[in-house]
Amino acid sequence: MKNQFATVAPTSAPENGETSGRECAVNVSHVVKRFRLSSGASLKTAVIDAFKRRPHPQFTALDDVSLQVYRGETVGIVGENGAGKSTLLSIIAGTLRPTSGFVRTNGSVSSLLELGAGFHPDLTGRENVMLYGAIMGIPRATMARRFDEIVAFAGLEKFIDQPVRFYSSGMYVRLGFSVAVQVDPDILLVDEVLAVGDADFQRKCLEKMDEFRAAGKSMLLISHDIATIRRVSDRIAYLSHGRLEGLGDPATIAKAYLDDSVRANAAARRREWGTLEAKFDSAVFLDPATSSPVKGIVLETKSDSVRVLLRWHSEKRLENPVCGFSLEDAETGRTIHGSNTQQAGFALPALDGAGGAVVEFDLRGIQAGDYMLSFSLHSADHSVNWHRLERCLLLRLRSRKWFDGLCSMPSSWYLP
Amino acid sequence: MSGGECENNGTGAQDGEWHRKTGVAKWRGLVRILVARNLKIRYKGSALGFFWSLLTPALTILMYAVFAGILKFNKGQPAYLQFLVTGIIVWNFTAGTLNDSLFSIAGNANLVKKVFFPRAILPLSTALANGVNFLLTVVPLLLYLAVTGTLDLGGAVWLVPAVALQFALCVGVALLVGTLNVFFRDVQHVVGVGQLAWFFLTPVFYDLGMQLGAAPIHDGLKGLVFLNPMTGILAMYRRGLMGRALVPEEWSAVVPVQWIWLSALATALVLALGVFALRRGDERFGDVL
Repeated sequence: MKNQFATVAPTSAPENGETSGRECAVNVSHVVKRFRLSSGASLKTAVIDAFKRRPHPQFTALDDVSLQVYRGETVGIVGENGAGKSTLLSIIAGTLRPTSGFVRTNGSVSSLLELGAGFHPDLTGRENVMLYGAIMGIPRATMARRFDEIVAFAGLEKFIDQPVRFYSSGMYVRLGFSVAVQVDPDILLVDEVLAVGDADFQRKCLEKMDEFRAAGKSMLLISHDIATIRRVSDRIAYLSHGRLEGLGDPATIAKAYLDDSVRANAAARRREWGTLEAKFDSAVFLDPATSSPVKGIVLETKSDSVRVLLRWHSEKRLENPVCGFSLEDAETGRTIHGSNTQQAGFALPALDGAGGAVVEFDLRGIQAGDYMLSFSLHSADHSVNWHRLERCLLLRLRSRKWFDGLCSMPSSWYLP
Repeated sequence: MSGGECENNGTGAQDGEWHRKTGVAKWRGLVRILVARNLKIRYKGSALGFFWSLLTPALTILMYAVFAGILKFNKGQPAYLQFLVTGIIVWNFTAGTLNDSLFSIAGNANLVKKVFFPRAILPLSTALANGVNFLLTVVPLLLYLAVTGTLDLGGAVWLVPAVALQFALCVGVALLVGTLNVFFRDVQHVVGVGQLAWFFLTPVFYDLGMQLGAAPIHDGLKGLVFLNPMTGILAMYRRGLMGRALVPEEWSAVVPVQWIWLSALATALVLALGVFALRRGDERFGDVL
């Protein structure tokens, strides 16, 4: 109980250190944020905890994070779910207080943390716009001047005097975005705004952000859409488990993040099912150079072809078995190619006891990227699935970019 | 990842102090809008709207007139109904604030979590909205007192400390209750029962001198009833509107009139507690909501 409201003095962070010549819009200095994992908000638990004097279980959401955003700069923040991205933005916005360290902002801050979050359903669009402006500390007269522009941007001229509970979710979000942007902040915090709204709205958002950048404003942006974040960011910060793993050039950091997340996700995405009359014992890559089995589930290669060694066993004799595979894009989940022994015209002998096969893929037809491999054993008529290993191997095909697009399409040229 | 390579010459940068943007002027607009919002929502969708603020007390007066007459509440006290109605209307300001403030912060979680602004504004505007509503309800009260000939503005100067103290009390209560209810949701149940106890401890429907005059309380302790801030505040209102004595005549020998300022002291204490609670709770609202 004693510690509950203790104020933590800012750590001795460098004060205005050396001057790089660029003005700082946001300075995050050694920020640590711990949340107490509460056992429920009640007097009873508070009293019990106070008597037991046991330390509260804590969760460290941010661990010594420091970063600066310069005036006019856009910094993207990437990281897996729960990495602390939103916590960081909330601390910069001032709605959460860091456990230690400090944040300084230089200029007005507007946050698009959850569009229209502050709207009251019983108030009209007009009243909510004025309320939001007031919360942002903008004088009434200024808001009144910008009002028409806000409504026009949201495209809600006809509905602005209706209570917002009658709005569709799209209208709600449009008004939220419009008002947050039109309050004309020096620093804009954007959390996953691009995930909502239709294509037209997203385009409008991106245009507005470009406009914002052109006006020399600073922006901090969270998105899981790596392509977008790479396009709009000057630098990217990569958070992982509350720590800043990297900060710098968008291409480099985005790649580092994707690499890590693909690795982490690969193992988690594995599935298997089937009747288990016949069962895979193992599926391993064979090293393209040495032909020896590769440890682990990941193979990173520039090779033109790759081989996988499959081993299985069956308790009873199974006639006319078929072994199949499929290759899917790890990022989109879209199947790139799938085939099996039947289609390849390879007569797999009947399964009886231990057995196995090697399958070789020609990789010249597909683009560099991350692919997940699945394998299955099933009956010739596909009616019984004995065993399927879904996404059991990750193939990381490296740059061999000699064509554009996803896959190679053989083409010939003639003179007319 | 390097720290401190960044020049910080902004006017808005506060050393160490966490985002504590001050400047009352900047937030005055927000207070006004939140007060208006509180009042608007209260009557949203009702046909008569703001007229309910006038109509409700008028009907309340009528109800008490009818039932107090039938049930013979009046124990031979002159102008009892006027005494009672004044008490009810004044009490309703405090009680209304108490109820509304439970969710003044917890009910605005979406705002508190997403946008920075001084959190004290939320309970403050709850108290203000109830204050505005109270001023409206005073209109039918004044009319009623005037019509029945009990209006006595001879001591109207007492209305100044009465309103000031009650407003301060309401702000204190709103800050305290609004903050506590964020951390302990039990508070709403405690408030439900506590409010009833407070109501009975406050001489709303009984007269201190008449009911407690014969009570076996040591004379020297009688003045302690003013530790309940509402007791003193209500006495000031009745002095200002009806010309009643601040301290009941039956007590005048043992309780000097200065004891009434005990209520002011108690009010200051509640306000200080409220400010203290909010300041300590402030940094954790975002974590808990």
